[in-house]
Order: sequence, then structure tokens, then C-alpha cells
Amino acid sequence: MPDPATLETVLARALAAYDDLLGLGEEVEDEWTYVNDLGAAWRERLEAAGELRAGAPISPPVEAAVDRAIAEIGAIEDPHRAIDWLSTFPQVVLVAIGEQP
Amino acid sequence: MRFQDAARDGRAVVYAGIQAEPIVARAAGLLADATTPQRILARAVMNGESTDPTAWMTMFPTLFGDEAAADERARSEAILAAALEIADRGEQVRSQLRGALVEAVTAALLERRAGTAPVRRERRILFDGVRAEIHPYDVTVEADGAAEAYDCKWGARGINADVLHQLDDARTHALDEEERLFVALVIFDADRSCRVRLDRQTAPTGATGLVTLETLDTLAAAPPTSRPA
Repeated sequence: MPDPATLETVLARALAAYDDLLGLGEEVEDEWTYVNDLGAAWRERLEAAGELRAGAPISPPVEAAVDRAIAEIGAIEDPHRAIDWLSTFPQVVLVAIGEQP
Repeated sequence: MRFQDAARDGRAVVYAGIQAEPIVARAAGLLADATTPQRILARAVMNGESTDPTAWMTMFPTLFGDEAAADERARSEAILAAALEIADRGEQVRSQLRGALVEAVTAALLERRAGTAPVRRERRILFDGVRAEIHPYDVTVEADGAAEAYDCKWGARGINADVLHQLDDARTHALDEEERLFVALVIFDADRSCRVRLDRQTAPTGATGLVTLETLDTLAAAPPTSRPA
């Protein structure tokens, strides 16, 4: 039986996907600075959530929620929609893991 | 200072049709009573790619899982259905519906405390000797002595210098006439994202209120006098 997922491993996957999303959003040249400021602000928040509960196991529904959110942003092709999700994705993840969004 | 309906030009007529779509009122009614996670669900779905409700129910276990209270789950399901109905429209209509929705939620919450003061949409504010702004204010509360004007946006990206100047100019013109006008942005986006956006602006923001997805309910309590720390 595999070990239960921890918050750190799930958030690591989420942050990797978030970096890809940020790369897509950067294609909107006029918003490059905003995109990166936004990415930095939300990365900091997600990392803080992970550090606060380092090593904490998470339930299969929570892991499935984060993985589904990762799949959702993985389907985005439009850079403008990517910018919308740079704000939305972290909130979805935070709600899923039971943190203040 | 006086209020006036916006000119009924072509844009206004088309947009009035969008505002009158029944889904806007239905979704606004649901979101006015929603929790923050339910509002995040709505924003995600209306920004999203997936049209399969199961995908969204998986993404929000706290709203749709076994531990969710029956009445909250029912509201989450209704919000999901309404949001999917909007998301299912073409990109341009989806965008217009989202904008109209933020205005409708704002108006619905303001009406809870406005009493006899009229809450109106698409209004211009006129000042003596000042050229009228072309763009109307999305929502106004036209109370004697303490009027309010709101600009509503779907996302933090909608915050820009023009919007901020228009709001602050209206406030200062009102002061010139010894009138009080509260001005604020209502952004259906995360507070953190709005602050990142605002921090990059050089336009005046100190006396402009900020209401975000997490603080929408404050609209029903009191006018947002300035940007909270």
C-alpha cells in the first residue's frame, strides 16, 4: 500500500504546474511585470501554507482535488485566461487543503 | 452633483440586453448569499475550460464532499449549474455576462442596506463646470448627503489608471461642491491579486475603497470608505 500523500508533495506538484501557467501568462508582454509580481505573491502564500503543515498527510479527496485543479490549468492555451488562473488556481488549492484562501 | 442615466448608444443597448438575461439575476442572487469558497468556485468555473460538473465537484471537496451540510451543498450545486451555464457561452458573451454578474451582485448587496436610497446602474455623475465622463458608473447609491459610486470588474486586471482617476476625480469634484461621495472598486477576484495590481498603479487610490471576492458581504454593511490595510 503506498504511503499517504503529504501536503508538501501535493503542493510541489501544484507549484510546478503554477510555474507552467506563469510561463503562459508571460506571453502577454504588456502584463509581464504584473504576471511575475502576481506569481511571486501567490507562490509565497502557497509555500507558507506548506511550511505551516510540513509533513502533514492529506486525504485522497484533497489530493484528487489538487490534481484536478492541476489538470484544469494544464488545459489552458490562452495566455489571457492563464493570467486569470494565476489568481484563481492558488485559491482553489488553498480551499482544497483547508487553508484560508 | 447630480446623477443621470447614461446615453442609450449602441453599446448601452447591447449591454442592457446582457444585463437582462435571466441567468445574470439568478447567479447574482445565489452569489449574494454565497460563502467565499462558493464564490471561488463560481469564479473558477466561469474562468474555466471544463464543462463537466464532476470535474468541479472533485476540485471542491469541502463544498461537495460528505462533510458538506445539505443546504450548503444544495447552494453549491446551484452555483455550479449557474456558473456552467455562463461558461458554456461563447468567449465574448461569457465575458459580458461575467461583468454584468459582478454589477448585479454588487447592486443586490447594496440594496440590503440602502433603505429608501435608490441603487441604480449605468449612471453618470454630473458636476457644475466639469465635463462629464464618457463612461458611466456601474452601480450608484444615490443617497442624499452620502452618495456612493462603484466600478465593478471581473478580475484584478481590470484595475487601471483610467478607472482609478475617474473614481477619484468624482470624489474630489463632489468635495468641491461640498458633497460627500464614497467611491470604490468591486473586483470579483482575490484580494491578494487586487493589491498586487494596485501596488503598480500611480493613480490616486488612498480614498478609493476596495471590495474583493472575500469581502463582498461588507457592501451590505457600510460604504467602503478607503482601501483597508
